[in-house]
Amino acid sequence: MDVKYINPFIESFMTIMPQLGFTSIQKGTVSVKGKQLIDTGVFIVVGIVGEVKGNVVYFMNLEHAKSIASTMMMGMPVAEFDDMAQSAVSELANMLTATAATIFSNVGITVDISTPTMLYGNEVSVKMNASRVICVEMNAEQHPFHINISLE
Amino acid sequence: MAELRIVIVDDSPFSIAVIRGVLEDAGFEVVGEASSLEEVKDVVKNTKPNLVTMDMTLPGTDGFECTRAVHAISPSTKVIIISSMMDDEIVQEAKKNKASGYIQKPVDSDELLTLIHRITDHEELFQTLDSEFSNVFKEAMLDGMNKMTKTLLHYKKESFHHEEHSSAGLTIIMGIIGSFSGRMLLDMKMETAERVVSSILKRNPSGNDEILAAIGELANIISGNACSILNRRNKAYGLRVAPPTIMHGEQVHISAPSYKTFSALAETDFGDILINVGFQRGDDHWM
Repeated sequence: MDVKYINPFIESFMTIMPQLGFTSIQKGTVSVKGKQLIDTGVFIVVGIVGEVKGNVVYFMNLEHAKSIASTMMMGMPVAEFDDMAQSAVSELANMLTATAATIFSNVGITVDISTPTMLYGNEVSVKMNASRVICVEMNAEQHPFHINISLE
Repeated sequence: MAELRIVIVDDSPFSIAVIRGVLEDAGFEVVGEASSLEEVKDVVKNTKPNLVTMDMTLPGTDGFECTRAVHAISPSTKVIIISSMMDDEIVQEAKKNKASGYIQKPVDSDELLTLIHRITDHEELFQTLDSEFSNVFKEAMLDGMNKMTKTLLHYKKESFHHEEHSSAGLTIIMGIIGSFSGRMLLDMKMETAERVVSSILKRNPSGNDEILAAIGELANIISGNACSILNRRNKAYGLRVAPPTIMHGEQVHISAPSYKTFSALAETDFGDILINVGFQRGDDHWM
């Protein structure tokens, strides 16, 4: 997988998060993972088809997912990861991927995206299509947010 | 969308008269006019139009703010921007604000009517897809399982729904892209997957990796075949599938997406397999 495929996702995160009320955004580490990731928390899968093909899987732990949903909803308290909070986080994944797709098209790579599918659970192992998955760890207001990219 | 109800937003009585003329000559019903944000809110609330033509320059507001107001009141109403200004930046902004299309003034009647027809055709295409996809995906799973395992399955429960559900353990997610985007997922117990794969390979799988790879391929075949059948029925769907993402874990919940999905629970020789499919209407589809 080509490393140039990760920049649109980073740029998208840097663009979208401030629009949603997150003031402090940092890029953390970029690492290469094997096919399998294991984590406990919230996962959102978005499919990508076009000149490159694959998936992006966003991950955050449940507490951070609730805080992120709360910020997106103008600070409304989010005690439970209910329908409203789930819908906010799912929409976030949609916005991030759609914006990344626009950035791809600006550099001449046309891609379309599927609707997001969100799951949450314990010790969830995720197997993506590519042999190598690149994981970008971003931070929004001290909330770690992983972007796992598998494109070919 | 046989009876199309349209609202015209413009601050120029001349422009309104021109646009109204084009629309009425084509047999469309113009149900209202507005020239300010307040009027836009009132007329959309009162008339619930299918379509709004939107000027960009309006006193005290602009076409984008008014477009957002339209969608806040009536999310399914389509908005076409009609403005004397047109450049890449403003078109991008229109897309971001979920307008369905952009036309430059002076209004060319053919251009406007073609755009309106494309928007209404898109809506009708969704209605057709919505009425046929569930059976096509059910058939594709029955057929895929039959060809790969030489067994038959039967569906014991089916429903369209909007709720979160618990995973049986293993979930395979296939993103779908095309005129309408969506997803298909299969959900089953890990042991069910192991038995399915043993049957396909006619031997015990060598380990978890082989099970996951084979079950991913099965999901790929089912969704790929279903989308091909739909595309053959109407090539305007242009459906394609993203590669499978496979997840398994403890107490996994699958959230309800923002649109309704169809679920069918199949009883197979290997255990129950749930197929869940849905497509989004795509109210912000750019024409």
